[in-house]
Amino acid sequence: MKTTPTAIVIGGGLAGLWATLRIADAGFPVQLFSLFEVKRSHSVCAQGGINAVLDTKGQRDSIHQHIVDTLKGGEYLANQPPVKSMCEAAPGLIHTFERMGVTFSRTSEGLLDQRLFGGVKNKRTCFAGASSGQQLLYGVDQQVRRLESLGQVVKFEWWEFLSLLKDADGVCRGILAMDLKSLEIRAFPADVVVIATGGFGQIYAPKTTTSSHCTGAAASRCYQQGAWFANAEFFQFHPTAMIGRDKNRLMSEAARGEGGRIWTPRDPRDARAPNAIPEAERFYFLEEFFPAYGNTVSRDEASRAIWHVTREMGLGIQGTDRVYLDLTHLDRAFVSGRLGAILDIYRKFAGTDPLAAPMEIFPAAHYPMGGLWVDFERDADGGMRPDSPRNQATNLPGLYACGECDYAYHGANRLGANSLLSASFSGRVAGESVVSYLKGLDHRRTPLDQAGVAFEIARQQRLNQDLMRSNGPENPYQLHQALGALMTTRVGVVRVNSELATALDELRELERRAASVALGDSSAWTNQTLVFARQLQDMIRLAMVVAKSALERDECRGAHHKPAFKIPLPEGKFAGDPEFEDYRARWRANNDRWLKTTIAEFSAEGPRIHDEEIDLSIYPPTEPRDYR
Amino acid sequence: MPANRMSIRFKIRRQDAPGSPSYWQEFAIPYAPDHNVISALMVVQNNPVTTDGQRVAPVVWDRNCMEEVCGSCAMLINGVPRPSCSALIDSLTQPIVLEPLPKFPVVRDLLVDRSRIDEGLRRVRAWIEIDGAWDTHEGAPRISPIEWSANYLYSRCMSCGCCLSACPQFGPHSAFIGPAALAQVRLMNAHPTGRYDQAERLHAIMGDGGISDCGNAQNCVRVCPKAIPLTTAIGELGRQTTVQAVKDLFGG
Amino acid sequence: MSHPAADSRFLLRRLHSLLGLLPIGIFLTFHLWENSQSRFGAGHYNGEVVAFLRGMNYLPVLEIVVIALPLLFHAGYGLVVATQMRAELTRYRFARNWLYWLQRVSGIGILIFLLLHVGMTRIEGLWRVSVREDLFGHMQHLLSQSWMFGLYLTGLLLSVFHLANGLSTMGIVWGLTTSARAQRRFGFVCAGFGLLLATIGVHGLIGFLP
Repeated sequence: MKTTPTAIVIGGGLAGLWATLRIADAGFPVQLFSLFEVKRSHSVCAQGGINAVLDTKGQRDSIHQHIVDTLKGGEYLANQPPVKSMCEAAPGLIHTFERMGVTFSRTSEGLLDQRLFGGVKNKRTCFAGASSGQQLLYGVDQQVRRLESLGQVVKFEWWEFLSLLKDADGVCRGILAMDLKSLEIRAFPADVVVIATGGFGQIYAPKTTTSSHCTGAAASRCYQQGAWFANAEFFQFHPTAMIGRDKNRLMSEAARGEGGRIWTPRDPRDARAPNAIPEAERFYFLEEFFPAYGNTVSRDEASRAIWHVTREMGLGIQGTDRVYLDLTHLDRAFVSGRLGAILDIYRKFAGTDPLAAPMEIFPAAHYPMGGLWVDFERDADGGMRPDSPRNQATNLPGLYACGECDYAYHGANRLGANSLLSASFSGRVAGESVVSYLKGLDHRRTPLDQAGVAFEIARQQRLNQDLMRSNGPENPYQLHQALGALMTTRVGVVRVNSELATALDELRELERRAASVALGDSSAWTNQTLVFARQLQDMIRLAMVVAKSALERDECRGAHHKPAFKIPLPEGKFAGDPEFEDYRARWRANNDRWLKTTIAEFSAEGPRIHDEEIDLSIYPPTEPRDYR
Repeated sequence: MPANRMSIRFKIRRQDAPGSPSYWQEFAIPYAPDHNVISALMVVQNNPVTTDGQRVAPVVWDRNCMEEVCGSCAMLINGVPRPSCSALIDSLTQPIVLEPLPKFPVVRDLLVDRSRIDEGLRRVRAWIEIDGAWDTHEGAPRISPIEWSANYLYSRCMSCGCCLSACPQFGPHSAFIGPAALAQVRLMNAHPTGRYDQAERLHAIMGDGGISDCGNAQNCVRVCPKAIPLTTAIGELGRQTTVQAVKDLFGG
Repeated sequence: MSHPAADSRFLLRRLHSLLGLLPIGIFLTFHLWENSQSRFGAGHYNGEVVAFLRGMNYLPVLEIVVIALPLLFHAGYGLVVATQMRAELTRYRFARNWLYWLQRVSGIGILIFLLLHVGMTRIEGLWRVSVREDLFGHMQHLLSQSWMFGLYLTGLLLSVFHLANGLSTMGIVWGLTTSARAQRRFGFVCAGFGLLLATIGVHGLIGFLP
C-alpha cells in the first residue's frame, strides 16, 4: 500500500516555519517540533530588517550588486550559486511576506519602504518598525497556524529533539524526542527530517546577544551522529552590545553612525562617574586608532579595538570588560529623533538614560556564519537548480538543514539584514528540496528496524537516568558560565593559536566535568536542569568544533581574526609598486591555501577537520579589498 | 529602595506539578544594581539555597529572548503580570514576590501552560488566507503610512498572556478568548486582502467565548507590556460586529 | 463559505445591552423626571401625575411588554453575566476595573430593590385601595422612615449609576467609541448625565417628605 510520506521539521523559527509551509503546501504532512511555542523563537530578536533589491529608491540598485556585496562581505568564503539564488529570490520573498500580512513600514505612497543598512551603498533593507524579525516570524507563524487548522501540520511544542533515527543504509528516518514536561522519550518515524534550530551563541554566554535557547544542542546532536559542521570558526561579534548579567543586548550600529563616541578612562582605576571625567583623561581609542573613520569604523574593527583596549591594554572601565558609548555630547532632540527606539531599549533594560550618562558596552557573540554543511546543485544559470533534492541537504541522506544552523550563505562574515533573508530563503528552499526528495522516494524501501528504535529509546532513557542519579561535584549552570568565559577569552574576537590549543584542552576538561554533575533536582516532571545538563554536553562538543576549526585556519578572514597571520596592506603603496605587488602575491597565495570551507567531522577523540573547495563561479576574487 | 542594598530578596510561589499544592520559598542573592528578575533568578539557579539554608530544586521558569519580544518570561511580579526580563530589581520593592502567571494552568513553579492563547488565535482565524507560500509576482495592495502605524501596534503582540491574566472575564471558569486574540482579528480585518475573510473572523468572535464576554474592565490595556491599544481594538470590533449582525439579520 | 447568522448568544447579549437603554433606561429617566413632580404636593401628584399614568391606553399591556418583560430579561441575563466575573479589585486598582465590578454588584442590588419597590407600590396597590388612591401619601409614609429613605436612596443611586456606566460601556460594545480618548470623553458625558439624573431623582425623593 502506498502511504503519503511524512516530514519532520525541528525548530520553529523563520527557517523552520518556511520549510514547514512549503512541505505542507505540497500536500505532505509535517510534524513540527519546538522547545517552546514557535512564535517565541529567536528570529523575533532581529531588529534591523531584511535585504531585497526592489530598486524603489532611485538608486539603480541591482541584484548583481546585492550578490557582490554579500560575497565580498563574506570575503568569498561562501559558495556562490546559493548566494546568487538567494539574492534573486529576495524580492519575491518580500512580496510573499507582504501577502501574509507582515506590517512592513511604508512610504508616503503606501509602498514598501527601504532603508540603508550595514555598510552597503544602496537603500535595500525592508523593515517593519523596529521589530522586523518578529513581524516576519509572525507572518509565517500565522500561515502555519492556518495549515494546522487544516490538519496538514501538527505542532509538538515543548518537545526536544534528542537524536536522529537512521535505517540500515544510514538514511534518516525520523527522530527521537523528549516531552519537556513529562520527560517521555518517544520515537517519531518520518521519511525526512529538516533541522532548523538556529545558532549557538550561548556557548559565549553571557557575552552573547542570542536567546537562552540558542545553545546549538540540536545541531550538535546531528554533528555527533555524523553530519558535517562547516566554517564553525566564523562567529560574528557585535561591537556595541549593552552589558547584562543574563545576556548582552544589541545596541544598534546607528548609535555610532549618528555621532556616538566610544571611550574609556585613561586610568583604569578611575572610579569617577563618566561625566565627571575631563576630556583629557578620556581615551577615545577608535578615533586614535582609525583617524580616517573614527567611531564609524566597521563592526569587526570596532570589536577588535574594544577587545585590544580592554583585554590586552587592560583599560576597560575600572579594569572590567566594558567601555563607554557616549551620546551625551549630542543634541538631545536630534538624538531622540534619530535613535528613539534604541534609547528606549537601553532605558528599559539598563534603567539609566543614555542621554544623561554614557552607555556601557562590550562586543558580544551575535551570529555564527558556520553551521551544518549543506549541499546545492548548480544550474545552467549559475544559481541553485530549483527543486533539486540536493539543495540544503546535509551529508546524511534524509537530513536537511536551513536557517542560522546551516553554513551556506554568509561566508566569513554576514552582511547586515542578510540573516532574515537567508533564514527565509534557505527555509523555503529546504522545504522545496524535501518535497522533491519525498516524491523520489522508493515506497518499497525497508521499514525502520523497530528493535533499533527501541534500543535507541532505552539508550536515551539511560542517559536521563544516569544524569538524575549522578551525584558529582559539578553544577551544570556554573559549568555553562565557565564555558562562556572560556570561549569569550580564548576563542573570541581575536585568536591566538596557543590560546586556541589551551581552549581545546580546557573544553575536554569541561566535557569530563559535565559528565559528573549533580542536578539538584530529582523530579521526573519538567526537570529543566536535566534538560540543560544534556544540552550543556552538546554545547561543549560544539564549542570544540569552533575552537578546533579556528585553530586550523591560520589567516585573517572576515570574523576570524588571527593577528599572527595578518597580511598587512603596505601603507602608501598602490598597484604597480613592487611592495604592493608583493602584497598582492601574498594575498593570492593565501587564498590558494585558505579560501576553502572548513568541515568538521565528529570522532570520539574530537573534531576531525578537512576542507572543501568553494564554488567561485560567479564573482571570483581577483583583487584584494582596498578601502583607501 | 535603599533600605536593603546588600541583598536582593525573593519570595517565590512554587508548585511541583499541576494540581499539587503550592508553597512559598524565600531566596536572597548579593545585591548588584544591574540585575533584572531573570538574571537574579539565574543566580538563584546556580545555587538554589533558601534563606533558611535549605538546598532545594532550582526554580523552573520560562524565558528566551530577554529583550521583551518573545513573550516567554511573563509572570506575576509583586502582584503585577509582566515580563520578567524587563523587570529591573532597582524598581521593585523587596522581597520581590514571584508567582506564576494567573489564569493559566501551572506546569511547575513559575512555568504555566499558555496553549489557550494559540487555540484562541486558531479559533479566530488570525491569518491572511493566501493561496500558498510562493511568489505570485506581486505584493499586497498598498497601505497608507497612517493605516500602517495603527496596524503595527497590534502586530507587536507577543502572546505573553499578561492581558489575559489581568482580565476578570478570562480564566478556567470561562470560555472567553480574551483581548489578545481579539486584537489580532482587528489587525487581520484591516489588511487589504485580510478583509476578504472579515465576516468569517467576525462570526468566530460572535460565538461562544467571543467578544460579548468582554466586560470592559480594561485591565488588559493597562498591563500590556507593549502598550497595545487592546480596548481600541475591542471598540472597533464592537462596531464591526454591530454592522455584521445587522447584515446577518437583515441581509446585505 | 456559508456561515450561520450571528450566534444566538451574541444576539442575546446585544439584546441585553440594548434593553438596558431602550426601554429600561428611557423608562428610568422618565420615571425619575415624573416623580420629581412630588415637590408640587399631594394634590398635583395624585391628581395629575398618577391619574395621567393610570389613564393611559393599554396600560397593563404597556407595563408588561415595555417595562416588566425587558426588565426581567435584562436582570436574568445580567445575573448570568455577573457569574462570569472574577474581579480582583485590590490587584488592579484601575477606575474601569472598579466600574466593571460596581456595574455587576449594582445590578444585583437593583434587582433586590426593585422587587421591594414594585411590591410596595404597584403590587400592593392591586389590593390596597389606599395605596392606589393616595400614592403620594403612601410614599410619604414609607419615606418618612429613615431606613426606608436610605433604601430608596441607595436603590436610586445604584440604578442611576448602572444606567450611566452601562451607557458608557455600550459605546464600546456597539462600537460608537473606539479610541481610548473617545471612550474617556464619552465616559465623562455619561457621568454628567448620571449626576443630572441622580439630582432629579433625589429631588423627587425629598419632594415626598412632609
